[in-house]
Amino acid sequence: MRKEQAVARSSLAVVFAGSGGAGAMTAGELLLRAAAEAGYYGMMSRLFGPQVRGGEAAALVSISTHPVTCQPDRYDLFVALDWEKVDQFGAEIPLDETSIVLADPRQGPTPPSIAKSKARTIPFAMGHAEVTPLERALHGKHTNVFAAGAVGARAGLPSAPLQKGLAAALGSKSGAVTRTNAAELDAGIAAAAVLDLDLRLAPPQPAARWLMTGNQAVALGAMRGGVRFVGCYPITPATDLVEWMAPQLQKLGGRLALAEDELAAINMVLGASYAGAPAMTVTSGPGLSLMVETIGLGVAAEIPAVIVDVMRGGPSTGIPSKTEQSDVSIAIHGGHGDAPRIVLAPTSVRDCMFTGEWAVYLAESLQTPVIVLSDQALGQAYTVIDPKTHRPQPLARRTRLGSEPFKRYAVDSDPITPMPRPGTAGGQWVGEGLTHNETGIPVSGAAAHAAQIDKRARKIAEFDPGHLWGEAWGEGETAILTFGSGIGAAQKAAQRLAATGHPVRVVSLRVLSPLPLKALAKALDGVRRVIVMEQNHGAQLYHHLLAHRAIPVHAESFARPGPLPFRPAEIATRLA
Amino acid sequence: MMEKALTTMAKPAATAHEALAPSDFHSGATPIWCPGCGDYGVLSALEHALAAHGRPPHEVVLVSGIGCSSRLPAYTTCYGFHGVHGRALPFAAGVKMARSDLEVIAVGGDGDGYSIGGNHFVHACRRNLDMLYLVMDNRVYGMTKGQPSPTTEADWDSDIAPGGLGLRPLDPLAVALAAGATFIARGFSGRSHELADLIVEGLRWPGFAFIEVLSPCMAFRSEQFGWKESVHPALRAIDNDRAAAHAALLADDGYGLGILFKEGRAPASAASAARASLAEIEEEFAVCR
Repeated sequence: MRKEQAVARSSLAVVFAGSGGAGAMTAGELLLRAAAEAGYYGMMSRLFGPQVRGGEAAALVSISTHPVTCQPDRYDLFVALDWEKVDQFGAEIPLDETSIVLADPRQGPTPPSIAKSKARTIPFAMGHAEVTPLERALHGKHTNVFAAGAVGARAGLPSAPLQKGLAAALGSKSGAVTRTNAAELDAGIAAAAVLDLDLRLAPPQPAARWLMTGNQAVALGAMRGGVRFVGCYPITPATDLVEWMAPQLQKLGGRLALAEDELAAINMVLGASYAGAPAMTVTSGPGLSLMVETIGLGVAAEIPAVIVDVMRGGPSTGIPSKTEQSDVSIAIHGGHGDAPRIVLAPTSVRDCMFTGEWAVYLAESLQTPVIVLSDQALGQAYTVIDPKTHRPQPLARRTRLGSEPFKRYAVDSDPITPMPRPGTAGGQWVGEGLTHNETGIPVSGAAAHAAQIDKRARKIAEFDPGHLWGEAWGEGETAILTFGSGIGAAQKAAQRLAATGHPVRVVSLRVLSPLPLKALAKALDGVRRVIVMEQNHGAQLYHHLLAHRAIPVHAESFARPGPLPFRPAEIATRLA
Repeated sequence: MMEKALTTMAKPAATAHEALAPSDFHSGATPIWCPGCGDYGVLSALEHALAAHGRPPHEVVLVSGIGCSSRLPAYTTCYGFHGVHGRALPFAAGVKMARSDLEVIAVGGDGDGYSIGGNHFVHACRRNLDMLYLVMDNRVYGMTKGQPSPTTEADWDSDIAPGGLGLRPLDPLAVALAAGATFIARGFSGRSHELADLIVEGLRWPGFAFIEVLSPCMAFRSEQFGWKESVHPALRAIDNDRAAAHAALLADDGYGLGILFKEGRAPASAASAARASLAEIEEEFAVCR
């Protein structure tokens, strides 16, 4: 007899795991899309190694009746498509004695790395019973689709959204492949009927939503902001952003240039921007390291540019496929000389759209490079979001000449001076990286040096983000101060603590530099304990905040390296 | 509604402009170059060529890196950019890709273009954007006071490499050919009129036009004063036959002037017109409609 839960669950966390090529990601995307089509919220994170084929792969899927903004403390279900590589990531997937492992007995016993969680293993023959082993070998194994169908059915998802999810997950595969998989999905749904497993979800609240990754959201935001030129070089985990963007730019009459290296990429961006086009590059830590000289040039010559860094584990080549927040220091300070710039960080997958668009407006209006610090956890998380969101006020570049004789680098009460587009008669100017005078001629005098450094610093210092600086959430005398992909987990932890009578604020920064000191002071008003949470070993954000006296000297640092995501229970434990 | 694409400015009809004089391109800023520097001749040739080419200064963008010759943009009345060492070509590529209506010229020296910027040189030849690249080659790092560059003779004695660096000099024309350049020429700053004619040819070339200019450094390579005796018209100008061009370049003594190779290959195309709106693109994300 099936043991039904008295109350249907509000959320379900499932792992599909296997060796690379087993189809874990397809299974995860199928289930997430099906749930999204049925009206649920959800998120899928990808866990994989650096190998293109044959490594380990796991799709981490959360489905909920409410928005999902972080990875869960534990998974309800672990679906083993095979056991081949499980030891390589078993330790990074939290299971406990109430978790269920679904595994095909033909794959052998549950290995110790999973069994030690004391999770109960339910044997489940995955795959069409009528298919012989030979046919399976010839036509490929569709275990993943079968398994996703079974899990979806047990969760209460109807057949129609599951088939829709399959079609989307397969993309433009041939008719034969699609038919075989559809049959396998139906077989999985049918097999679920005899499965002693209750995953029933509470009814959803359907509404028109979007399913997208943070990388896609940044790209979309940038295009909303007017970016029509991207210069880039491939780097994990930023490549999928530009791969999605390239055809979209073509549709919009723009273009993506695949540069020979990151040095070329950022210089192409400055060139396009000098010529008058809002322009962006997209990279990760190692690429940002290569770009810092030219970012300094952009500051000195006062050229708008958006630089998106989808952070990964560092230093050096680090962990390319996994997340970390360890480029805070290089983003804020990277480069020689005094080169102040604006550094932003999206506060959620949904906010990637807003911050991406806002970054373009700030770069254009302040005529300076703006760095957007995303990370792999945001960038590669497929997430269901409510698409209706407020958008930043458009701001444009100042190009029109005034009545006074034109000096590109005039030192005036307004540090933002006109930069005419090439082609404008009478507006000729030479962008200059050497210390220059007001007309842009290189000089090496002390007065011009000080005046121009001051001009550029004032642009940044006078920048007032207003209410867009970030967000203060919740109340209480304890505050977690954090940014980026840690925010969702921090808010979840604070929610739980508040429910037990310990209110906690979560103060989230969207502007990392220049620090919004007044807004932070207000957000932290009445707070006795501040904990700065970030995913790097050196407490980079904490030291930045301390240096600017944005936090009290007794503020605590909760800094640890990636790649494991912050989870609510870990944060709650740290606060206790 | 179609979204805003990469825009160009209306190109005025050629007849709309008064005839241009070289002086229209002369800013009057005093060059930092030493007396006798070959770069003066290059600047003069460029001004004459631009006047003959007929596009006004505000439609021309001159891009450079770092080094003596890279100071050139400010000495003209054109739009310009003086960037970081070695990166003139990708910057210029960005200008051209965003604004195909502009006349784009990258300038610089042998250290800037062949050493620190060598990778960009190779890929600019491959990319074949419609632009001109003018390298003022004096076979020395002049601005840092006399170190051997990639084109310096192996036995040239200097403080940093006593007795010579002992490295085979790079042949930039052969590199350009191997990398797929479609217009390869050599000029000499001491023959400014001929150089101006070459530059006009390069400006009119529908693709990446590379002109290596022998431009002596009087401060550190005064023996280059003798180049005026060494130069001679190129033995052969080759069209479209890459194998023959390689053979000719291998036989070249490094002083043959003129267009050495041309190949009719379509330049990289400009961005196409917008054919979708952002709202249509956003449809891709919709679920649960």
